[in-house]
Amino acid sequence: MRTERFASLQRKSVLYFIIIGSFAVLGFRLFQMQIVEHESFKEQAANNSIKAIEQTPLRGVFYDRNMNVVVNNVPAYTIRITPAYYDKKLTPVLEAVLGVEPGYINKILYSNREFSKYIPVRIKRGIDFKVVSWLEENSEHLPGVDYIVEMQRGYPAGIRGSHIFGYTKEISPALLEKHKDYYKPGDYIGYSGIEKAYEKYLRGKKGYDYVLVDSKRKEIGKFKDGTEDVPSIKGNDLVLTIDSDVQRAAEEALKGYRGAAVAIEPKTGEILAMASAPDYDLSEFSYVTSREYLQKLYNDPDHPFFNRATMGANPPGSTFKIMEAVAALNSGVITTATTFTCRGGQDFYGRYFKCDAVHGTLNVIHAIEHSCNVFFYNLIYKIGMDRWDEYAGKFGFGHYTHIDIGDESRGFIPTPEYYVKRYGEDWPKSIMASLGIGQGEVSVTPVQLAKYCALIANNGVTYTPHLVRGYLTNNTKKLVPFSYKKIDLGIDTSIFNIVKQGMFLVVNGSGTATNIRSSDIMIAGKTGTAQNPHGKNHAWFIGFAPFNNPKIAVAVFVENVGFGATYAAPIARKMIDAYLEKDKLKQDKILPSQDSNNNVMGAAVAN
Amino acid sequence: MRIDYKLEDKFDLGIVIPVFILFLIGLAAIYSSTLNNPHASGNFEKQIIWGIGSFILFFIIYSIPTNTFKTVAVPTYLFSIVLLVVVLVMGKRISGAKSWLGLEGLGFQPSELAKLGTILMLAAFLSRKQTDIDSFKDIIITLLIGLLPVGLIMLEPDLGTSFVFLGLILAMMFWKGISLFGLFVVLSPALVAISSLFGTYYFVGALIVVFISLVLFKKDIFFSGSIFALNLGAGFFTKYVFKLLSIHQQTRIRSFINPSADPLGAGYNAIQAKVAIGSGGFWGKGFLAGSQTQLQFIPEQWTDFIYCVIGEEFGFIGTIITLALFLYLFKRILNLAATAKDEFLSLTLIGILSVYFIHLLINIGMVVGIMPVIGIPLPFVSYGGSSLVANFLMLGIAVNIYRTRKNYT
Repeated sequence: MRTERFASLQRKSVLYFIIIGSFAVLGFRLFQMQIVEHESFKEQAANNSIKAIEQTPLRGVFYDRNMNVVVNNVPAYTIRITPAYYDKKLTPVLEAVLGVEPGYINKILYSNREFSKYIPVRIKRGIDFKVVSWLEENSEHLPGVDYIVEMQRGYPAGIRGSHIFGYTKEISPALLEKHKDYYKPGDYIGYSGIEKAYEKYLRGKKGYDYVLVDSKRKEIGKFKDGTEDVPSIKGNDLVLTIDSDVQRAAEEALKGYRGAAVAIEPKTGEILAMASAPDYDLSEFSYVTSREYLQKLYNDPDHPFFNRATMGANPPGSTFKIMEAVAALNSGVITTATTFTCRGGQDFYGRYFKCDAVHGTLNVIHAIEHSCNVFFYNLIYKIGMDRWDEYAGKFGFGHYTHIDIGDESRGFIPTPEYYVKRYGEDWPKSIMASLGIGQGEVSVTPVQLAKYCALIANNGVTYTPHLVRGYLTNNTKKLVPFSYKKIDLGIDTSIFNIVKQGMFLVVNGSGTATNIRSSDIMIAGKTGTAQNPHGKNHAWFIGFAPFNNPKIAVAVFVENVGFGATYAAPIARKMIDAYLEKDKLKQDKILPSQDSNNNVMGAAVAN
Repeated sequence: MRIDYKLEDKFDLGIVIPVFILFLIGLAAIYSSTLNNPHASGNFEKQIIWGIGSFILFFIIYSIPTNTFKTVAVPTYLFSIVLLVVVLVMGKRISGAKSWLGLEGLGFQPSELAKLGTILMLAAFLSRKQTDIDSFKDIIITLLIGLLPVGLIMLEPDLGTSFVFLGLILAMMFWKGISLFGLFVVLSPALVAISSLFGTYYFVGALIVVFISLVLFKKDIFFSGSIFALNLGAGFFTKYVFKLLSIHQQTRIRSFINPSADPLGAGYNAIQAKVAIGSGGFWGKGFLAGSQTQLQFIPEQWTDFIYCVIGEEFGFIGTIITLALFLYLFKRILNLAATAKDEFLSLTLIGILSVYFIHLLINIGMVVGIMPVIGIPLPFVSYGGSSLVANFLMLGIAVNIYRTRKNYT
């Protein structure tokens, strides 16, 4: 029996079956891998051996309206660590060399722990050249540590522009979650100002260099000799509406104050300057911002990050009187012949309201010139709360200006409904007297006031205030302008001519801002002093020049200093000078048209 | 006896031609995988020289009298056991295992010789007239002959080669005619041992299967009980041995169970191997054009992972042709074994066949991801002098047996 079992046909069949079965399994598995799942493996292989190295495009630069570069890119050194090769024992040495607090490197490495250990992590940007040379000298003792040259923001024009240019920062995890499609950890993104608002134009398009890597992710050459590389596309350059000289003048004049200054070209709504004080040094943000500097900014009681030009809402004071005058004149409630008599104050609804002086009998023009409160107390009762609200709204108060950098306050224009809600049906009508001189609950922002001034200067027509004119195409450098909404109040020029005469006299007559009178530039304006229950009054000034052909409209706000004429008006004068003297636009020395002027003033004198 | 002078009658081209083609495929793959690797430059040339040497050896073995094999069986076995001991004492450690002997600059693996020694020894013992493969005593002797080198190789430790030995012992006992129950007694502890590595549930499950089988065999309670105890012991012993294994072998076995747990560690090769093969597609990426191969994603690809090169650069066509050549070779040897009149020679052929087959099964199974990563070369294809020489030596025996097949009636 046993010998028959040896090498029996049956046993041969069993072995043969095992062999065939095994081959069938292997063959099936090969079929599955090489044919059925081929695509997936192919992709894995491609990802394995071809590494896409992201090429960060150059960010678009900023030109001012005269095509001077105001924000550009400058090379800076960034130190990186590749965790896979890094020896943690080096950390104390590196931290000492970089001058950072202990634990700095570990914190950064820890926050990048979920990425491949072969991807370099940026440790610090903008490192000193001394540190770079140290790295270079000791490179053999510093495994996994290297540096790269990256482009950082530079500000070559000598203007700060903190609140308008804004800064870029490494993208936060929260933002990254929202914009996963484009950004990767470590990417920089505009965080404020124009950098933020125009991020899509400025950032350009990332490029990719494809390189072959071996199993250790070490680069061993270009993929297909670089023919498949996608070059990065530089971001679009922006042409701003800013005039560097006006901006510089505003920034310098505001130094030491808390306040804001905005200048607008009336015909176009282009913002010539926008400054908010105190400001901060943007170049500190180009690099990994030093902790102390940030702390200092955050702890500053004057809130340097706060853009007072668009966010600071305060009572407009007497600058609001122009709006009221326009409302009254345009609705036919008064004419230039209408007068009120100022005896240094007046009683309204059982409350006595003061004026700065005893102005006697005056018409609207001289009331503006002298900023007579009594005249405007009477006027607001004459035009009524609804019309006052309507015209305030027409000029854009209580609404966003929709300035292109966003982040603004609407201000506040009280309505009868507001007072009913606050005080009941019988709300004290004496409140209106305060509103008549721009005090009380009403609040406006400097940019709103600048736009208002532009509307007055250009007879009720302007455009949405904006900081960016357009972008330049990358190859032809042709300007592609952005379009902005036209604002037309539909108020007759003759109405504006009347109030403008008053504003002319404010500076050039015997008005409240004769201190800024200029021999070669005809400036018209209006002062304002907003009462401040917490301290010194806030100073306002709005003005435009040249009188007959306004090229610049300015609003200046200075907190807690006192009279508008004393503090705000000279700043406006400096800005106007900076703009007009340079542009040789001072030809406009002609006085306002003699006839009408004489008539109107004659009437005032006659009364 | 009629003497046939035709070549085919003396020289089995059906065995030699597939092997020659496999060797050429291997050369191409070695060339491709070492082209860009400065550490492996010259491997292609070395393999050619080894190949020529192997062919010469093959013809020598082919020409010698067939009865020589039986004569040298015991000395070869004993000599190889001695070498296995020597290698443990003074061997060179290469990639975690002490399996190499340095001889005048040439690396040599005693376990390659031990395969042949064990085949011949087992064949000699099993073909004795008085051997009863179903007797407990002879089963034990057979296992002792076979497991002695396994034990020594395990100590190196070289897991893959140990499997080869287990396979050849089993195949030869089966061929000799062991009864189903005998096979069960031999095999069940091994299966229980392996299942114990997968975890307690598998271990218990295997024990239940063993228990049911014992009931079905209807042997006496005492005998069945001792077999069950043997199984139980094998399971616990394996767990104990597993702990004794080197760390790299433990992680290799673990990473087979879950390769992606450690993608850059032990599971790395398994993943990259699959990617290489899978990305080859139907036609392959072309000679020297496989990114996985050319960029050296798989370390030492010219040895144990050579099949990945074929899979990536020659595609499904290449892998299937390779498989087909092996299948033809195996079928040919199996037929020869079935027709060989001499029991010793027939058993030797089965031993040789099982060595080739288990090498192929573990090697290709490993690169396609159905076997753990166990370093073991693909016969005739992988780079390496020792295994090439050993494989051609065994091939020489096979063709020698073919040559004189008609002398034994």
